[in-house]
Amino acid sequence: MSPVSSKQRQFDALVRGYSGDLFRYAYWLCGEEALAQDLVQESFLRAWRSLDSLRETAAAKAWLITILRREHARLYERKTPQFVDVDEVEVADMREALTPEGSGEDALIRAAMLKLDVKYREPLLMQVLGGFSCEEIARELNISSAAVMTQLFRARQKLKAMLGGEPIEAQVYELR
Amino acid sequence: MNCVEFRRQLAIDPQMTSADFVQHRAECPRCAEAHARALAFEGDLARALNVAAPAQLAEAILLAQTTAERRRRVNLRRASMFAVAAALVLGIGVVGMRAEAKPLSVQAVEHLESEQEVLALTAPIAAAEVAATFAKRGVVLKQVPDGISFVAPCPVGASKHRSVHLVMPTTDGPLTVIYVADQKVSAAADFERDGLRGRSLPLGNGTLILLAKSPAEFDRVEALWRAAISG
Ligand SMILES: [Zn+2]
Ligand SMILES: [Zn+2]
Repeated sequence: MSPVSSKQRQFDALVRGYSGDLFRYAYWLCGEEALAQDLVQESFLRAWRSLDSLRETAAAKAWLITILRREHARLYERKTPQFVDVDEVEVADMREALTPEGSGEDALIRAAMLKLDVKYREPLLMQVLGGFSCEEIARELNISSAAVMTQLFRARQKLKAMLGGEPIEAQVYELR
Repeated sequence: MNCVEFRRQLAIDPQMTSADFVQHRAECPRCAEAHARALAFEGDLARALNVAAPAQLAEAILLAQTTAERRRRVNLRRASMFAVAAALVLGIGVVGMRAEAKPLSVQAVEHLESEQEVLALTAPIAAAEVAATFAKRGVVLKQVPDGISFVAPCPVGASKHRSVHLVMPTTDGPLTVIYVADQKVSAAADFERDGLRGRSLPLGNGTLILLAKSPAEFDRVEALWRAAISG
């Protein structure tokens, strides 16, 4: 087997194995399907060019997400719409914004997720979609683990507040 | 671990399995209840985030990569041939000359050779996906023609990925449509090349290219795209 074809096979496996996950990550990062698709495609082209730097297959997903985040920063960061601060959003607004096919609880959570400031949204995506630990998120975002924990805490707090869940026991939840 | 610390951990990572976390949950019914609610919410969240990826995503990525790879090899070969020719003429070593742009019809036929796999696709794809691919290139379709089995960004044309590549299966076999959004030919022309029949015509701000084994369906398909792009 020539080195070219084994590289191609490794790449095929990565695309088939991770393009779905990467698309979901991209979608929740930029909130737009067409953009997310382009972003995933560009990221995989970049991954192909630097495939030699991927040492262990076990780390492939994290490696791909890192490439995708850089690509996103490079291509789209300036075009990202400003997200409304969560505290100003009424759940009633969200219900109106829903498309007919997107009714139900999933749709409410999706709308809330897209309204979450990217600073809170991204660590949550890394944890829930990427399966990263707080330490891994900290390394990827280049901030402290304590800051990651605070953002994850606030992300869930804000999501639940938007979704009108159980009242938050302020004194119990307060973080310093 | 006390209740405050437990609730804090719960909001940071409900999947937490550290010994003191597990121990507090076992000892404190109220926190155990909060933990169950948090896990239910995590399930809802994970489900909501699990949006479906476009059906042909992996195929589109692999096509883009193999096409880019072929183009890179061809360009390297061409560059080295030019370098040799130029060196012969000038008597010096020359590296990295650029080939001049080929006519769109030639580019399209050559491009098709590298993407033959998509001709076999027959299942119709969603109109929304077609519209989105055009929209991404600044083209708003007035309507989306029926019977499209493949759509993807395409490298044909001067600026990379400003084109849309589609396949429409017809009774006469697969018909390839390439819309180059930012380059406009001056006049319509039919052509024949490498056993393929083709048509290129100015449409909107760009060029529509049709390719097939036979031109039997060209008029019908051209009308569909005229309606879609100029309305
Ligand atoms: Zn407790
Ligand atoms: Zn193409």
